[in-house]
Amino acid sequence: MNRAGPIYLDWAATAPLDRRVADAMCACLADPAAQANPSSGHASGRAAAALVARARGEVAALIGAPAESIVFTSGATESVNLAILGTARASPREHRHVVCSRVEHRAVTGACRQLEREVFEVSWLSPAAGGAIEPAAVAAALRPDTALVTLMQVNNETGALTDIAAVAKLCRERSVPLHVDAAQSAGKLPIDVAVDDGIALLSFCAHKLGGPKGIGALYQRRQPRPALQPLMSGGSHEAGLRPGTLATPQIVGFGAACRIARESLATEPARIRALRERLWQALQPAAPLWRNGVAEPSAPGILNAGFAGVEGESLLLALDGEVDVASGAACHSAVAEPSDVLRALGRSDLAIQASLRFSLGSGTTEAEVDRAAGLVVAAVRRLRSVLPAGALERVA
Amino acid sequence: MSGEPLRYSPRVRELFAALPGGGALAPGEGVTVNGEAAALERGAWVRFEARVSGGRLADCAFRAWGCPHTLAAAAWLAQAMRAAPVADLRPAEVRELAHEIEAPAAKLGRLLVVVDAQSALLAAARAVQ
Repeated sequence: MNRAGPIYLDWAATAPLDRRVADAMCACLADPAAQANPSSGHASGRAAAALVARARGEVAALIGAPAESIVFTSGATESVNLAILGTARASPREHRHVVCSRVEHRAVTGACRQLEREVFEVSWLSPAAGGAIEPAAVAAALRPDTALVTLMQVNNETGALTDIAAVAKLCRERSVPLHVDAAQSAGKLPIDVAVDDGIALLSFCAHKLGGPKGIGALYQRRQPRPALQPLMSGGSHEAGLRPGTLATPQIVGFGAACRIARESLATEPARIRALRERLWQALQPAAPLWRNGVAEPSAPGILNAGFAGVEGESLLLALDGEVDVASGAACHSAVAEPSDVLRALGRSDLAIQASLRFSLGSGTTEAEVDRAAGLVVAAVRRLRSVLPAGALERVA
Repeated sequence: MSGEPLRYSPRVRELFAALPGGGALAPGEGVTVNGEAAALERGAWVRFEARVSGGRLADCAFRAWGCPHTLAAAAWLAQAMRAAPVADLRPAEVRELAHEIEAPAAKLGRLLVVVDAQSALLAAARAVQ
């Protein structure tokens, strides 16, 4: 990551801003013409609009989409909410069923639970052993009144990869709109909505791929175009779906991040996958340990590992200032709350609390992986050195 | 995979970093006693071990599984009990222990496990006097 301080292995949470993206944004911020409202018809407005248009094309190209199919939002959470709530609420009155899974990001599960509080019924699919959602499970859940299927391509905690192409084909055949949460896959795995044309909607954001925070996109298929009800009112921007003055510098940064990601798609996934496996091997001296999820198929940059006999919060503090990683539990107000995703995989609460998510990205190096693994192994051994007899076997 | 940032008092960080008294009891004279308490559902498992010699806890060590507050509290108590006359030792009050290491209220349940282990140790120490 080319900076002093802890080794950053939390790229799935957010990626550091790419220097080239920062340069593009700074140039935009320094250009007086770019500060105009891109919706204004005057010369400065048209100049800003040209920057937005160029960036929109770069964002669209990342997923093989036409530029006019991209709606800019504040981030993936807003995109997901617009896709799920917007589609469901715009669906015909006789379509009141949604298919989702238990391992989705909380942006998705939250939107689906909101639909449950309205008039919708949600089918919550469970993952297969490796953490992915089987297309057969989706097929079995589809009903004549299904208004939407929403699934993530890559699980943010385990890296499990769902076969979205197969699900898209299925949804296309049944004429059911499919929304894909691609927050963890866009720019990290090839996506082509022109090929997988069963994808009706696809959400992603800039900050997961080296772009700025505060900007995301929703792809909305042109033909057939899924109906969407806007979440907000107050303007006709973004084809009437998302009012508000466009944030030109953010959009320019998003476009640059997508271009950089697209150019590296031929090489980066394989490089990062190799680094992930190097990390897994380097962690073996910390055995007994286990992998939450499977090595393949999975996203290249995510490794979720559990360490027997180790309490996650203590492991995080032992690594604090040395390695930035995420725990298997969300710590709200000092009370660890085990991950719903790992629970869905059948892990015990103790095993979940003994788990860490390591996520790698474009700036991760072999030296960082080796050093991080050494620090983790040392921290695990230190915590195990004070375990009561029998705890190693029971706390896993 | 997100939540509140990790916040620990300097005392917890210091004790957690050093874990004084953590691990095996050093060899020496006296009778070895121990006290243990576990509540896995609360996230804590603590075992104190001590050598009783000449009416004192000549040495005291701990083993623990739990959060940093649990480990820090066990380390602090192990230090506090070392060399003390058994007759003078009383189980710690959970709130005093929490105050000592600046533990949040949410961790009181785990500190109770630490105190339960200490109580068991002191009972065992009195029994061999």
